[in-house]
Amino acid sequence: MNQFLAASSRAFRWSSAVASSRAARRVPRGGMPSVIVLAAGAIIVLNYGLLYTGSVFVLSACYAIVTAGMAVQIGFSQQIAFSQSVFFGVGAYGVALLNTHAHMSVLLAGVVMVVAAALVALLLGSVVTRASGLALAVATLMLPLIAVGYVSGTDLLGGPVGLPLNGTLWPASGSTTLIALGGGLIVVVVLAAVVFIATRILSSDIGLELFVLGVDERTAAALGVRTPRRKLELFVLGCVCAALGGVVYVGTQQFVPETVVDPTTELALLIMLFIGGRRSPIGAVIGALVIQYLQGASNWVSVNILIVEGVLLTVVLLVDPEGISGIVATGIAWLRRKSGAARVSAALGPAELTGAELTGAELTGAELTGAELTGEGQPAAAAGTVREAPDAIAGLPLSSVLPDSTLAGTAGGARDATLLEVRGVFKEYGGLSVLHDVSLALPGRGLFALCGPNGAGKSTLLNVIGGSVAPSSGEVVFAGSDITRRPPHERFYLGISRTFQAVHLIKGRTVLDNVAVACLASHTASIVTRIGRSQLDAARAKAARTLADLGMAHLADREVSSLTLEMQRMVELARALAPGPRLLLLDEPASGLSEEQRQRLAALLVTLAERTCVLLVEHDLALVAQVSERIFVLSGGHLVFDGGPADFRSSPVVNSLLVGS
Amino acid sequence: MKFGNLLIAGITTGSIYAMFAVCVSVWYRVSNILNLAVGDFAMVGALGVDNLYRVKGLPLPVAILTTLVVVAVFAYLYDQVVLRIAQDGRRPIEGIVITFFFTFALSFFIDGVAKVLFGTDVHAAPTLWGGPALTLGSLNFERSGLLVLACAVIIGGAFWLYIRFTLGGKALEASGENSVGARIVGIDTRQYRRLIFIGTAVIAAVFGIVESPITGFTYLSGATISLTGFLAAAYGGFRKPGRALVAGLFIGVLEAMLGGYVSAEYGDTVLYAILAAAILAWPRALGFESAVSG
Repeated sequence: MNQFLAASSRAFRWSSAVASSRAARRVPRGGMPSVIVLAAGAIIVLNYGLLYTGSVFVLSACYAIVTAGMAVQIGFSQQIAFSQSVFFGVGAYGVALLNTHAHMSVLLAGVVMVVAAALVALLLGSVVTRASGLALAVATLMLPLIAVGYVSGTDLLGGPVGLPLNGTLWPASGSTTLIALGGGLIVVVVLAAVVFIATRILSSDIGLELFVLGVDERTAAALGVRTPRRKLELFVLGCVCAALGGVVYVGTQQFVPETVVDPTTELALLIMLFIGGRRSPIGAVIGALVIQYLQGASNWVSVNILIVEGVLLTVVLLVDPEGISGIVATGIAWLRRKSGAARVSAALGPAELTGAELTGAELTGAELTGAELTGEGQPAAAAGTVREAPDAIAGLPLSSVLPDSTLAGTAGGARDATLLEVRGVFKEYGGLSVLHDVSLALPGRGLFALCGPNGAGKSTLLNVIGGSVAPSSGEVVFAGSDITRRPPHERFYLGISRTFQAVHLIKGRTVLDNVAVACLASHTASIVTRIGRSQLDAARAKAARTLADLGMAHLADREVSSLTLEMQRMVELARALAPGPRLLLLDEPASGLSEEQRQRLAALLVTLAERTCVLLVEHDLALVAQVSERIFVLSGGHLVFDGGPADFRSSPVVNSLLVGS
Repeated sequence: MKFGNLLIAGITTGSIYAMFAVCVSVWYRVSNILNLAVGDFAMVGALGVDNLYRVKGLPLPVAILTTLVVVAVFAYLYDQVVLRIAQDGRRPIEGIVITFFFTFALSFFIDGVAKVLFGTDVHAAPTLWGGPALTLGSLNFERSGLLVLACAVIIGGAFWLYIRFTLGGKALEASGENSVGARIVGIDTRQYRRLIFIGTAVIAAVFGIVESPITGFTYLSGATISLTGFLAAAYGGFRKPGRALVAGLFIGVLEAMLGGYVSAEYGDTVLYAILAAAILAWPRALGFESAVSG
């Protein structure tokens, strides 16, 4: 019972929490939702197929095929493109034309049109997916507007009257009953397949990539996600699902009204998606069913459908932004907790329960001991600090913080060979010069710092090295090859890892998943291959090792926004370290940390620098002089100092620039 | 003087787009919510006045005033009930996409109510300034169009003065830039969200009233108006009312020119294609990136 609940809870939410992996072994990943759809759909079609209920169900299943794809593209990955109604129209009109004029069977025409839609989407997508966020949304909003103008003026497509179809989805001839039921079953099978594929993708390693892409495209790129490719794949996926929906729609409804390409169809689909649950394919199916049944109801509901939809959408979103599926998942999780708790108490009795609680207490005790161990210097620290401290790297002998396993991917950088070379880099924004002829070179290991007053260009230089900002002129050479024009994700593969000035963690995911993002091996794979297999578990295992090495294993299942700033910075550092980088770019890792926390961080950085090259942007001059072997000072975009810590302390330039101010 | 007349027509429709774009972008700036229901308030303004004046027989000024008060009260209630739960609760709902759907649902709700109250036929508020078109040489000025322009200049100007020169305007700007920061320095951001929501709803209703004699409205006209306002606001980067205004005027003029010189039938199609291409070519210059990050 409990396992069933766990599986269905996962089915309703996109979630693939670590804790549920036990149940996951029984049901194949992504199997449960599609089995539910297949079984329930078949039963409904066979029992009610000839009745009004059945015909409404088949119609809503046609839309559900579209919305399930939208759940992946729009809900989960947040790539809002208003292309669905147009490709729905491409599928529907295409099949109608091929069937009427070329006498192709509906099934064959459907296959032809889906392939054609994929090709068109690939062409169109390679243009429009260059845009991001709202630009993508507004640019694709033009598609239905253009399509409606074209369709209403084109006689071949029936203009405003619409286009009828003689063929049926069911390929063989037979009685009306057979044709209706057979067509309905084909729709259900297609829907189940789409739900299966969508769920498989979302729970795979690429699903994690897509989630990051949805939260923040730039962070995704810095973590190695090939954002242009993923965005194009998502666009094509959404369009193919829409075309599939259009094909089965015309095959079962035998008519294409002009309104299918209308923006209102687009809005109707979006309403289905958001009422059902934007991130969950099965939620999208539920949404399509709910809306179609409400519209089909022959009472005041269908007369006042606009009011009903408006109120329903508002209420559902107010209760849970994840829609009906979110509400159901919360309910199931609650049931599960309740039944689980009941079972435990029945089986173990109250004494054992206390035992379990005791273990919890012991854990806290162990953490406290750890805190005391590191917190030697500040016994008077507030209780809160003591509680938080163990969550970082406390209690560990720092010199052994990073055994070989973490940096296993790196053979340790060479001391004397140049790893990174920045040659004569200029950067201008408009007329404003941010970097002026900056050149520097770093060897394969060691700790280096970049200082300078605010606005000196430190972060810009880091971005130029990381690839999120292109220099106006100059070169960036890494490990002997010119990477000036390489995108951020390719630099990530070469071994450049970074953290951000403001913490860029992925909210809504666990610490483990946040680190696992950087360990994914899926970057070169296409979405389609991930339907078959996923290497998310391998990435998570690697992430878990890194967390363990940093003494953060106990945080693995925590949601990142529940962590303190120090812990969040540590998670970000763990994420940067996990892939075993050759060059680590840290943008003010110590900002916002207490003195004690800074010292812990400093010790860790020194350890890291024994194996890899670390470039640190930092304001804390004492920290910089203490840990780094060479320091670069930027001022007004010029490199004004380059030398060791001793020179740094005595340099008049540095003193006037940084200490004086 | 085809060009001149097309220009006049373009500026007239453009000023309507511009006003709705300003309404969308000003409220977005304060609340970070894109208001897709702004056109529905315009529809309610037009059909409400028509219903009260023509069907219920109220005097025109009373009908207009009543309609505007109803719109304001409704906007107030919506803010108090829905937006308060959505944004001011323990778990505020964030993200441009999800909040967008609240106004989307609002638009559906208003349309549904309007269908019940006003029926499904095309109606319009009575012409406030009737009579034949004024002519100047070979140029024709429709009186309704001039009235729309006058309203745009007066209301738009007043709005600009308010934002630019009053303390309230500064506070409003601060609310949008950083709502937490604004709250810390003592600005009640919720109050501004409410104020501007009600204000833009009433302004939209006024424009519905003056515009409807030109085009005529049904209960479903709101979505189209919102769409044009949304588009023009998009080209102003959603946060910059001044640019939204220019974008609205530009789109209006471009539409008239394409309709007059390229093709009456496919003019709109060409217009949309040009607009899409512009976004893809210069997303940064058009302010899309700042809108996303902000």
